Amino acid sequence: MRGFRLLLLKEERALFSSEIVYVLAAMFLLVMGYTFSVALFLNKTASLVHLFFQMYVLFLLTVPIITMRLVAEERRLGTIELLLTSPVSEVQIVLAKFCAAMTLILVMLGLSGSYAVVLAIFGEPDWGPIYSGYLGLFLLGAALSAIGLLASSLTSNQIVAALASLGVFLLLWSIDDFGFLLPDPYDALVTNLSLAAHFVPFATGSLYLSDAGYFMSATLLGVFLSVRALGRR
Amino acid sequence: MDAPSAEEFDRPGHAPSAIFVENLTKWYGPRQALKGLSFSIAPGEVVGLLGPNGSGKTTTLRILTGYLRPTSGKALVGGVDALEDPAGLRAQIGYVPEDIPLYNNMRVAEFLSFMAQLKGLAPAAAARAVDEVSERLELGSFLKVLIGKLSRGYRQRVALAQALVSDPRVLVMDEPTNGLDPQQIISTRELVRSLAGVKTVLIATHILAEMQKMADRVMILLEGKLLADHALTQGGPTRRIRLSVAGVPEQVQALLARVAGVRSVECEAGGQDGAATYVVEAEPRAEELAARLAGAVVGHGFALAELADVSTDLEQIFLSLTRRQPEAPL
Repeated sequence: MRGFRLLLLKEERALFSSEIVYVLAAMFLLVMGYTFSVALFLNKTASLVHLFFQMYVLFLLTVPIITMRLVAEERRLGTIELLLTSPVSEVQIVLAKFCAAMTLILVMLGLSGSYAVVLAIFGEPDWGPIYSGYLGLFLLGAALSAIGLLASSLTSNQIVAALASLGVFLLLWSIDDFGFLLPDPYDALVTNLSLAAHFVPFATGSLYLSDAGYFMSATLLGVFLSVRALGRR
Repeated sequence: MDAPSAEEFDRPGHAPSAIFVENLTKWYGPRQALKGLSFSIAPGEVVGLLGPNGSGKTTTLRILTGYLRPTSGKALVGGVDALEDPAGLRAQIGYVPEDIPLYNNMRVAEFLSFMAQLKGLAPAAAARAVDEVSERLELGSFLKVLIGKLSRGYRQRVALAQALVSDPRVLVMDEPTNGLDPQQIISTRELVRSLAGVKTVLIATHILAEMQKMADRVMILLEGKLLADHALTQGGPTRRIRLSVAGVPEQVQALLARVAGVRSVECEAGGQDGAATYVVEAEPRAEELAARLAGAVVGHGFALAELADVSTDLEQIFLSLTRRQPEAPL
């Protein structure tokens, strides 16, 4: 446990000492602020649904940048050899890196919470969809981070890691369109791989265990395969 | 020279090995990097693992440090099996990898403390260990400097410091003098020699001269096989001088045998003008041996016809062994 804490602290320091993270967070908040203001003035309703869809798209674009360096940089610098010759396990290393990425995602979600506060001050929002929307974004962030971590574990090139995870995200984003072309029962199988199909219910205030299960399964699979990728040497 | 079997080293009555390797093999896809490697290293020994590039040195070290899993065979460090308890094995080892991989965004003290705690030291003990190791390696004034801003020599010192900070029983170093200037090489050599007897040190290198000055023993590796295991400080015929001296053979032989550093004297066939030829075997590090031998012979009134150094030094052994076989494919 101490090894995990140390590794997590090291990862968080590395992440938050990188200027990329601050540029990313600033851009994220800028786009979010714009969307929030425009949606509020146009619709005049105390809702964050537009914001959640905006964040969903932004996560698809920003998570690859957050996760690309996690293992790929250690491989490039050779520091992975220092970690893997220390008395810590591959599971601890991967979990620390995953949790560090999740810390940043939680910070971004936390900062976006200011829009909910604005709604609470000036209106009477329906809190149910807001809570479920944030839960959906958290689960989405976890699944994307795990997939991004896996891509980073498979290469020593950060750009390759970022492009590979972005490719997978975009495929999972639009795969339901492809599913509609397929005959039964393949259409349901492929449509159920869609990120959007499982995120929309969360954003609109509907909670289904199957949607949460989808994101959790993707997260566990990504983390498990990352551990295997690190052990393959 | 045949590679000694692991049983020879670990036979009953001998001290348990700090490092014990038996029939170790490693395949990288279709290429076999290690072909049944066996050796043993006693506690406190400084051993050099010599071989050309691609001979399997780094693979051996990586298996011993738990970074790689062997395809088959046994690798034990301090009695802990690399396959059964890799974390336990890693806890006993300080490792200096080949290309000095360090976290450039960390400060020296922060990095050393991180590595010490990662190896199991409590925060307070880690802070003390960082102070001690930085004093020993003269890193005190660099503790707050970013590692990315250090020169190669200081990066090497930091790499050594992280390996020593947890006071491991075994130190494993891969090409520790690569890219260092002469002064830094001397410092590294002195540090390694200061660890002799205290820690078990295994150094992989392709620089023969360094090993002659640093190690107690060298093992020569080629194409994944151990070709030779050669003691440098005792036992091995590492320095040989041939003399041609006119005089009573028994008296000359006795005289040469009394010279400091001489282990044995053999009288061979007769030389020129009634002189006999003697082959002196001496300690490898005997200083000015030739001058002392010549002085002894002449000082006692014998005529010295010839004196030649015919040492079977490490380089000769290495070349004779590696010439026998084709170069390993890279």
